[in-house]
Amino acid sequence: MIDERMEEQAALHVLGALSDTEARQFKQAMAADPELQAYVARLSIATGALAGAIPAAEPPPQLRAKILAQVGEKQKTVSLPERKFRPLLWWGWSLAFGLAIILAAFNHNVQPLREKVVAQASQITSLNQMVQTLQAATNNLQQTVLALQETNKLANMRIAMLSSLLTDSPKAVAVSLWDNNKQEGVFVVQNLKPLPADRDYQLWVLDHGTTPIDAGIFRVDDKGNVRVEFKTKSLITDAGKFAVTEESRGGVASPTIKNMVLVGG
Amino acid sequence: MTLCACNDLRPAFRVFDAETVFSLPVFFQSVNDDTASDKDVELLRRVATGDRAAFAEFYDLHSTLMFSVACKILNDPNEAQDVLQETFMQIWEKAARFDPKLGKASSWAATLTRNKAIDRIRASVRRTRLADEAGVESAIAAESTDTANESVHGHEKARLIQSAITGLPAEQRKAIELAYFSGLTQDEISKQLHEPLGTIKARIRRGLLKLRDQLEGRL
Repeated sequence: MIDERMEEQAALHVLGALSDTEARQFKQAMAADPELQAYVARLSIATGALAGAIPAAEPPPQLRAKILAQVGEKQKTVSLPERKFRPLLWWGWSLAFGLAIILAAFNHNVQPLREKVVAQASQITSLNQMVQTLQAATNNLQQTVLALQETNKLANMRIAMLSSLLTDSPKAVAVSLWDNNKQEGVFVVQNLKPLPADRDYQLWVLDHGTTPIDAGIFRVDDKGNVRVEFKTKSLITDAGKFAVTEESRGGVASPTIKNMVLVGG
Repeated sequence: MTLCACNDLRPAFRVFDAETVFSLPVFFQSVNDDTASDKDVELLRRVATGDRAAFAEFYDLHSTLMFSVACKILNDPNEAQDVLQETFMQIWEKAARFDPKLGKASSWAATLTRNKAIDRIRASVRRTRLADEAGVESAIAAESTDTANESVHGHEKARLIQSAITGLPAEQRKAIELAYFSGLTQDEISKQLHEPLGTIKARIRRGLLKLRDQLEGRL
């Protein structure tokens, strides 16, 4: 139940009229109260209308070209997960350093041999063998780099284990595998209680750990198991957590927090 | 259409934290008819992937609303152009952050513009002007005037919105305008209007609820 005082705070919040401290406190209260969240969402209809209730003013035509030109100059950057240790870069430099040593050694040894090539054919053969050995080592390094590149691709994968919040299905468990590049995932559930016909489970991806994004509905078999492939209805930038709620048939637009059955990240 | 016809200089004292607000699952959450249009959602998805044609289309759809908001707050067409440019660059960079469940793209773009404009006022010498200059005349257009909402909602719905807003009691509308278009806090509005803080809170609450009740499900 939202009291009048909280309604006032909500109205001031959507207009940006709370002080910084008040705004922080309100956001905290909102984060813990789905009813308040829904209330604020409905109020935003009013502020959205308010923004455009002013005399229309057209931007000058040349501004369009200027902005589009600026976008043309500025390439979009794709943010990758921050990594403290960058093995690919390290190996790249290592590989370059190794090749430099090989070339230096090769030049150092081959140049004098050219002067003695006729007399010391056996030594040339020996050196050639050494070069082949070093080339093999270089190939191995390249293989390692390729393997590390594959590992780097895995950095865009998010694997999460979800545990049960249900007292009557404490053994329910799920694993979610999310590919952020492809924006798709696989979800595997075990031991989750089957639902009646008028209810569905709904999967949510919590973008940045907070914003619930609908990832579709699913049902489990008689044993409580299922494996589903899923996509979200909005772009995910950081799949911080995953959650499953029990909802009415067909799913809902916003998760019913009290009906959360699985969560994890 | 006009080019920044507003005359009043409006000091503003704090910034609405747009990015924080729009990252919250609760703000502008879609309710029934209030879902973002599929076209806008698709455009922003494409913008997020670096599609310049989609960005140009988004500009064509929303630049009038955004420029109108910037003009109304800044009262300076040159500064409004700067703000529009900055806001569109922000959209280019951060389109992936837009979540259609949290509201319409037009509302998102308008709020980003509003916050950048108020931020600019805060940083300028105009901030030193006293709050009693704020809101000398209403920001809201008369019911018969073409508004920025026309470019977003079309004629009929824009008229509906205008009728709802101009139909608010003057004291409620004044308090709401000072908050949204001048960026005043509740305390500053209270001082500006020489009314107790409790009265200001109640006016804003009643005014927004009235607007919501008249517009919900009709836009």
